[in-house]
Amino acid sequence: MLNRRDVIKMAAALAAAFGIDSLPAPVVAALKAIDPATVPKIIYLQGLSCSGCSVSLLQATQPAVLTMLTEYSRLAFHGDLAAASGALAQETINHYIEGKAGEYFLVLEGAIPAAMPEACQIGEHTLADYLVKASTTMNGALAVGSCACYGGIPAAEGNLTGAVGLREFFKSSKIDKLVIDIPGCSVHPDWVWHTIVHLVRSGLPELIKDRPAQFYSKKVHELCSRYHDFQEEIFAGKLGDSGCLFKLGCLGPDSYADCPTRGWNGTSTFCVEANAPCVGCTSPDFARKKTFPFYRLNENTRKKKT
Amino acid sequence: MKINLGPVTRLEGHLSVITTVEDNRIIDARCQGEMFRGFEAILKDRDPLDAQQITQRICGVCPYAHAIASCYAQEQAYGLTPPPNGRILQNLIQGANHLYDYLLHFYQLAALDFVDVTAVLEYRGADAELLKVKSWLRAELDSGRPSAAAPFLPRLPGSYIREADTSITLLKHYLEALGVQQKANQASALFGGRFPHATAIFPGGCTRAVTVDLIVQYQALIQETRDFIRDKYLPDLLAVARAFPEYWKIGASKAAHLSFGLLPRGPAQDAGRLFGPGFLKDGKVTPVDYTQITEEVRYAKYSSPSGLPVKDGQLQPAPGKPEAYSWIKAPRYNGQVVEVGPAARVLVEFYSRGNPAITSLVESLTGKLDVDPASLDSVLGRHLCRAISATVIADFLMAESERLVPGQPTIAELHIPAEAEGYGATEASRGALLHYIRLKNYRIDKYECVVPTTWNASPRDDQGRPGAMEAALIGTKVADQTAQLEAGRIVRSFDPCLACAIH
Repeated sequence: MLNRRDVIKMAAALAAAFGIDSLPAPVVAALKAIDPATVPKIIYLQGLSCSGCSVSLLQATQPAVLTMLTEYSRLAFHGDLAAASGALAQETINHYIEGKAGEYFLVLEGAIPAAMPEACQIGEHTLADYLVKASTTMNGALAVGSCACYGGIPAAEGNLTGAVGLREFFKSSKIDKLVIDIPGCSVHPDWVWHTIVHLVRSGLPELIKDRPAQFYSKKVHELCSRYHDFQEEIFAGKLGDSGCLFKLGCLGPDSYADCPTRGWNGTSTFCVEANAPCVGCTSPDFARKKTFPFYRLNENTRKKKT
Repeated sequence: MKINLGPVTRLEGHLSVITTVEDNRIIDARCQGEMFRGFEAILKDRDPLDAQQITQRICGVCPYAHAIASCYAQEQAYGLTPPPNGRILQNLIQGANHLYDYLLHFYQLAALDFVDVTAVLEYRGADAELLKVKSWLRAELDSGRPSAAAPFLPRLPGSYIREADTSITLLKHYLEALGVQQKANQASALFGGRFPHATAIFPGGCTRAVTVDLIVQYQALIQETRDFIRDKYLPDLLAVARAFPEYWKIGASKAAHLSFGLLPRGPAQDAGRLFGPGFLKDGKVTPVDYTQITEEVRYAKYSSPSGLPVKDGQLQPAPGKPEAYSWIKAPRYNGQVVEVGPAARVLVEFYSRGNPAITSLVESLTGKLDVDPASLDSVLGRHLCRAISATVIADFLMAESERLVPGQPTIAELHIPAEAEGYGATEASRGALLHYIRLKNYRIDKYECVVPTTWNASPRDDQGRPGAMEAALIGTKVADQTAQLEAGRIVRSFDPCLACAIH
């Protein structure tokens, strides 16, 4: 069985022989992306987002933020960092999205208000318009964070904007384009930066369910430092207790991510290590249903009705 | 001539500002919040304990402020008081978040309005990092590629710092600050589980157990952050102030000031706070009354009734509404236009004379800069009050962390009533933050947030009075009628967060 890398290598050979244009669009996009000589230029746009993923990207230590900006990528536009503002900033974005500035990767943080496009405006343009135009000019897209991947909290039950993730937005607009999903609320900076480094050094990383396998092939529960407690049935009975947090509603068993082995913020800490049940923030179902709360607490945490 | 300054960069989220300029003077300004999610609708009917998680996602820059406001509101609703360790941990998490946020704002968001990045091309020193930036910048500019040297260039035309050495020092500290803000976040993550969006904060305290190991790690990280604040951030800010003294007079909102108070000194929320709460008008501070707050929507894109008090808030989006130009509502306090934020926090404390350390810091710094406390209502005033907040909070966190008792409980046992309500108020780094929760049949019946930038970037109210940021812009002289670098400096001095403002 060929893995994805082999398929792409084979596609590259075929492309050399028969011309790139005869290949399906996602393969063409992937091929363009894997040229190691090409450091990707990045246009980073924000939709229905909180900037938490951007802030998380600034917490990167390996490689450092400056290294990412000067060696592994060219951050052509990011609203939180750009010296340019107003018309000058808009010009940069337009230039790329209209295909006048060469190849680029689109990074999207945040969901798209599919039922209310006016709910996300970037200067003179709606985000939705930008995304449709970008789909014809970009090499591919990185959906950064659970909002961009699956809609996230803006798409939770009861929302008023019809928010969706990038893949679903493209699908409903009949757009077929390479999208790499990097979920998390927020994302871990390594998940994003290391994916970009991988694109630069060795091409498209192996993906499982559209996510880089490197970070999302195992469940938090499987990697958890408290897996032993689970096996020994040492369970936390109430908030603040140590032991396996499963009975408090921990969503580690439903969530693919390597938080327990990677650690957050340059420490060995992650949520469960702080006795906090995993809220399942990398899951497509994160926060989705009003009737599915984050925590499953003991019945006696409710005072009797008087 | 009307100019759209949007998308305004180096702030959180989606902001456009439409200015009308005549003879190089801004004669009108409209702040347009451009992104709407509708958190109140998403929170309705959910389990109340979801609230401190969901509301953190209002803002990834100051998530902990939302977690804390939500916990305070729930604690009031549940009749819950955390054990001493629990409140201390909440303070340590929230306080460290303030420190990171002030550094991020000054260096990554605001500094490029003042610093001449190209000065590094003339750098003759031996600092490896600066030499790396110098050769990178040279190569980028020589490449002729589109958007070369982004995100540092291109920039708006205007006057930047002339002293090359000052710009180079600030650029060096821009790069160092990237590392220092990480230290502050690492400190909060030790107890909060991670940053952004902590999972260990709950009404009644924090789930993380206290150990000596964690205390010493936290203190070492805060100590490093505190050293940077004292040795670099404050001197850098003074250097900017000396290079642009006119900005003590530019950007005054002339609004009333409101602060909800920050960091309680004990388990009870009203135990007395490091920065006390108050409403400041004409030099007089009066106690805060949340029932005096209403939100007006004549110029906001909602069809719900205007002028409702917080606990009766409604949310019916109406993107095409005539006259409306922003997704931000217009909150008013007792009918008055209000500025919130670092200047409000410091001035309320200064005029109520509650904390001698803050009073003397304000007096010594304004004395050194030869300005009076009234000039803190200005672009430089807001920056200075951030640095004052950072200094005071860093000292507080070192002392507060000493009060932790390893082995003692960190969280109170929860007993959630079927029906209840509560207000939770704190200071986010950007200013006064209020959450309101009402429970019905163990679920959220009503959740409302009035957030700092909702006040500052508010559109006109029903009477047509501009919000604080609009007022600060109107009357400003601009050298370049289209670029309006001066307007950018005013807007960024408020450190707007649009995701917060609209939520």
